[in-house]
Amino acid sequence: MIEGSREVPLTGLRLEGVRAARGGSDVLHGIDLTVARSELLVVLGPSGAGKSTLLRVVAGLEPATAGRVEIAGRDVTGLRPGRRNVSMVFQSYALFPHLTVGENIAFGPLVRDGGRRRARGRAERAAALVGCAHLLDRRPDQLSGGERQRVALARALVREPDVFLLDEPLSNLDVELRTETRAELRALHDRVGATMVHVTHDQVEALVLGDRIAVLREGRLEQVGTPDEVWRAPVTVFVARFVGSPPMNLLPGDGPLRPPDVAPDNGRLVGFRPEAVSLGPGVDDGQVPATVDRVDVVGEDAHVYLRVGALPVVARVPASGRPATGATVGLTVRWSDVHTFDVATGRRVASP
Amino acid sequence: MLAPYLLGLVALVLVPAAVTLALAFADYDLLRPPVWIGLGNFAELVGDNIFRTALVNSLTFAAFAVPARIAIAFGLALLLHRRAALVGTARTVAALPAAVPEVAYGLLWLWLFNPIYGPINQLLALGGENGLTVFGRTPPQWLTDPIDARAGIVLMSLFTIGETFIILLAVRHALPAEVYDLAAIEDATSWDVFRRITVPLMAPALGLLVLRDTIASLQLSFVPALVVTEGGPPPYATTYLSLFVYRTGFEYLRYGYAAAATVVMLGLTLLAVVAQWRMIRRAQRLYGL
Repeated sequence: MIEGSREVPLTGLRLEGVRAARGGSDVLHGIDLTVARSELLVVLGPSGAGKSTLLRVVAGLEPATAGRVEIAGRDVTGLRPGRRNVSMVFQSYALFPHLTVGENIAFGPLVRDGGRRRARGRAERAAALVGCAHLLDRRPDQLSGGERQRVALARALVREPDVFLLDEPLSNLDVELRTETRAELRALHDRVGATMVHVTHDQVEALVLGDRIAVLREGRLEQVGTPDEVWRAPVTVFVARFVGSPPMNLLPGDGPLRPPDVAPDNGRLVGFRPEAVSLGPGVDDGQVPATVDRVDVVGEDAHVYLRVGALPVVARVPASGRPATGATVGLTVRWSDVHTFDVATGRRVASP
Repeated sequence: MLAPYLLGLVALVLVPAAVTLALAFADYDLLRPPVWIGLGNFAELVGDNIFRTALVNSLTFAAFAVPARIAIAFGLALLLHRRAALVGTARTVAALPAAVPEVAYGLLWLWLFNPIYGPINQLLALGGENGLTVFGRTPPQWLTDPIDARAGIVLMSLFTIGETFIILLAVRHALPAEVYDLAAIEDATSWDVFRRITVPLMAPALGLLVLRDTIASLQLSFVPALVVTEGGPPPYATTYLSLFVYRTGFEYLRYGYAAAATVVMLGLTLLAVVAQWRMIRRAQRLYGL
């Protein structure tokens, strides 16, 4: 950057019509995406959606067959990976097995600038930032999964890159460690104020971690928005079903379950989350009778799989008030949280 | 299940090995019964100039051929591990010479080395006058000059690296791709990638292959020396240990003496193996592998 005219770019990363192919078939079909500086964007999608390819295209490890990649206001589309000033954390961590932790972290500074001692100093500072300074002389095979993950993070941090790319960095950790590391990752982001793109298939991780979430499906962006927007106003049926566990109930608009003030319409889908369903022991006035197929108890919660006529409905109720399998219950839906989708396009229809 | 194999092992390897060891301490010419002479054969070996020449020849051959063979196989494996146009063909070409029967391979080189119509010297004489090279030098006399003949045997060995090449290709394939992705992101030069990543990660395999090739080098020189140079040119320029044993045993019918030479040969091999094994172990500890 030119000193003097310090124009601070407001975008950390911008993709314009980016396409990519793998083995002859298209994996990304024209991605337009802007990540603000210091923003943590989570790319969420099922496996095979093209999430990793997206990261690899940004890093330059795979070529974009069309479109433009801009990092910190700089067009990097034609630049090789080493010239893009990005850091990447791989799902496997990609630590060098023959180098110590310190040498692993210092690898980038060493090969770019030379100077073993300076590289070592930078490695020590980066290691301290993620709390793995005590591991510097160990080798990767002497570390636990969580420690390896930290080392990979430190190696990404040592560079002070324009964009951090994280490819499912938490997926190899056990649940407890994942939750803990998730919070640390968020705190780390806030502390260093870096632009981060974090790829995951875990919707909880996306909701907790992201400033914004980009939902990717089969190489296309379904929705880009804050976790609140994605949760409260999913723009497509896919997003509605993918975010939330158990997934949102989606029933035909002319079925027995629909908001009272809406006319039957078989061109619509009515969606409501399992949390919006409450169950009563008997079928009272205004309640719909439902049969209990299966009950999964998850600690304090019970996921109740019901059948209303032939339609499957999931309810999430307190485990203490769960019905028995096979029972007939009265079902009420809190219709204030209803989502309506068009059957043909799968897109959200503004509530009337 | 293993019985036939064990039977073969005992009948074809263990028993002959034991017989060889016993014969090393005897005088035996196939006609008269063996006579125990203690360390007599070994004492004779120490003073035998031909044996000493063969020993030096074998060690020299290993010192030149083994590093060169491994380097070529390693280079080819790194060059040809990616998929690209013609890479498949190139891999086949690299692996093929190892599949040619040894004697046929030797006869082929007899023609290649021929000083008058052999293609190698015709190529070297291109642009020169009176059969000399462009620089006015005499082309190598592969079959008549002692130094050139030794170089020729080493040269022959450089093309039969198919097995080593295929093993190194597989080892290179098994290295994690993400490590190389990371190096690309860190803008490591190809030289840095080679010396800081590829060599250390492949070092265990390379070490074992050097070990294996050193053992094999004692036999590697046998057929070429027998077919192409016939142990010559004088004075015994390409008489290697294996050829020395063969001649002593099957041509001069001194089986006890040949057995003693074989035992020395095996002992030397064992020494080389132990030394290299210790080096490999030390490197592994250094790299924590």
